[in-house]
Amino acid sequence: MTGSGEAELRERVHLLLQAVEPPMAPVDSIIRCGRARRLRRAGAVAGGLGLAGIIAALPLLTPPRALAPPHPPLPVTVPASGIAGPGGVFASGTADGRAWRLAVEDVADPGYRCLPAITVNGTDANLVQPNPRNYAATAFGPAAPGLGFAYIQLPADVAGIVLDGQETVPAVTASACGLRYRLAGFAYRLAHRPRVTALGAAAAYRLPAVGSLGTTTARAGQNYGVWTNVRTPGAETEQGILASGRGWSITVLLGADGDCYHYESMTTPGTPQIGACGPVSTPDGPETIMALSLSYPPAGLHGPTGYAVQVSPETDRLRATLSDGSTQLVTPHVVGGRKYAAFAVATSLRLVRLTWLDSAGKAFASTTALPRAGYTQFQP
Amino acid sequence: MTDPLDELASADVVSSGGEDFTAFAVSRWPGLVRLAFGLTGDRGAAEDLAQATLARAYVAWRRVSQADDPDAYLRRILVNASNRRFRRHRVSEQPGDPPETAVEGPAELVSDRAALLAALRQLPPRQRAVVVLRYWEDLTDAQIAATLGCSAGTVRSQLSRALAKLRESPALQEGEER
Repeated sequence: MTGSGEAELRERVHLLLQAVEPPMAPVDSIIRCGRARRLRRAGAVAGGLGLAGIIAALPLLTPPRALAPPHPPLPVTVPASGIAGPGGVFASGTADGRAWRLAVEDVADPGYRCLPAITVNGTDANLVQPNPRNYAATAFGPAAPGLGFAYIQLPADVAGIVLDGQETVPAVTASACGLRYRLAGFAYRLAHRPRVTALGAAAAYRLPAVGSLGTTTARAGQNYGVWTNVRTPGAETEQGILASGRGWSITVLLGADGDCYHYESMTTPGTPQIGACGPVSTPDGPETIMALSLSYPPAGLHGPTGYAVQVSPETDRLRATLSDGSTQLVTPHVVGGRKYAAFAVATSLRLVRLTWLDSAGKAFASTTALPRAGYTQFQP
Repeated sequence: MTDPLDELASADVVSSGGEDFTAFAVSRWPGLVRLAFGLTGDRGAAEDLAQATLARAYVAWRRVSQADDPDAYLRRILVNASNRRFRRHRVSEQPGDPPETAVEGPAELVSDRAALLAALRQLPPRQRAVVVLRYWEDLTDAQIAATLGCSAGTVRSQLSRALAKLRESPALQEGEER
């Protein structure tokens, strides 16, 4: 390598290692560990110490590796056969008294093309395709305080994963929509992202920082319930126009980022596309009601608002009741095997009630808990 | 009541040099984690190694604090611990991902880091250590030799082989093409 080559290598090594941002120095752990080492040495030299002294020192004699994290991994149950159980369940457990399960299942409405997804408790989903390099995590906020859920797609030579060197989660084979997956799933505490290492191969996985979810960032627009994928998600996306008017449209794009809605105005030059993403719900799961500001620059709660709702298969129409007492009947559109309804509310009005109607025109659900911005979830 | 161990520790950590172990550990921690990451390519293992290194320094604090070059002492502990780890696992470990902050940077920079990690991964532990000590710690052949417990000639030959491998590394070549 030439001199300039060495200079370049030096620069690249510096860029690589300077990008590492160590956490706070664990000085207490270091000192505890040092004391344990010192005691071990002392014990080796003065082997004749009394039994009482040895017993007293035992808690301090643990090797550094045994400095257990303050949050031990949550236990995971997997099918003993190594094949996903009924409903595609490949991992389950109980965390803080709440049962959880991770499964692979079809999240398309009945009668439509199959859409494979990983679900937590049969509700929030993440579209998937077999892709051993992909892993993802999510958190539900108040619905499961302090807990995150993750899955990893494993290649054939990885027998499973180990959480913090303590909890082994074997790979489970699951099938959905004619595709096969090798998966390991688990729940964890957001306060402590576990170290995830591969079993039977030398590889490590770093979970996305789902703890930051809930605070929408300009870069990712992440929210609770929206899975954060690592590496290439690989899942196909579907998109379609849900509502449009003179010079504007609301579009849904279904993919690994969730159900993402975009508002586009063709009449105001320079207006950027406005969009937001929400959780992907299963046909049985809660329906996501998304509110989009349709003004640019955003006029907060005072501008026009667009609404998009992913509705359950039995929904024939959605009735929007506005603050002046008027109503709009909205017919859902099917995009990617899922039903969505969208409409816009003018500046001077606001949405006060949404009502779900079946094919006979009968109301079967209604809510007044409606967002002015962002999304809420509603179980009809 | 004061824990006798605390008394022992505090008596020990206030060295004649006047440098408190806590301050020493806090100041050296980031550098040790980065060096360990360079040696292992694994963030979790790097933090473990840095912690074990400082714990050993704590045990030998009197000696460390009075050493002419305490950092050289730490480096030696760290590199030896890293080599023991490789011997124990008997695997050429694969790093996880580039450092977390990498995702904040431009895409080319992220690719560069990933490519370099992949290329370093291909090197045997000792060659990787030579590269990291030379290009991250900026040590001389003699200093690297002292750290690794070998001769300066061995350092030069190891470095030469490492550079040859890096030059041929498909990962780095791909990185350059990007």
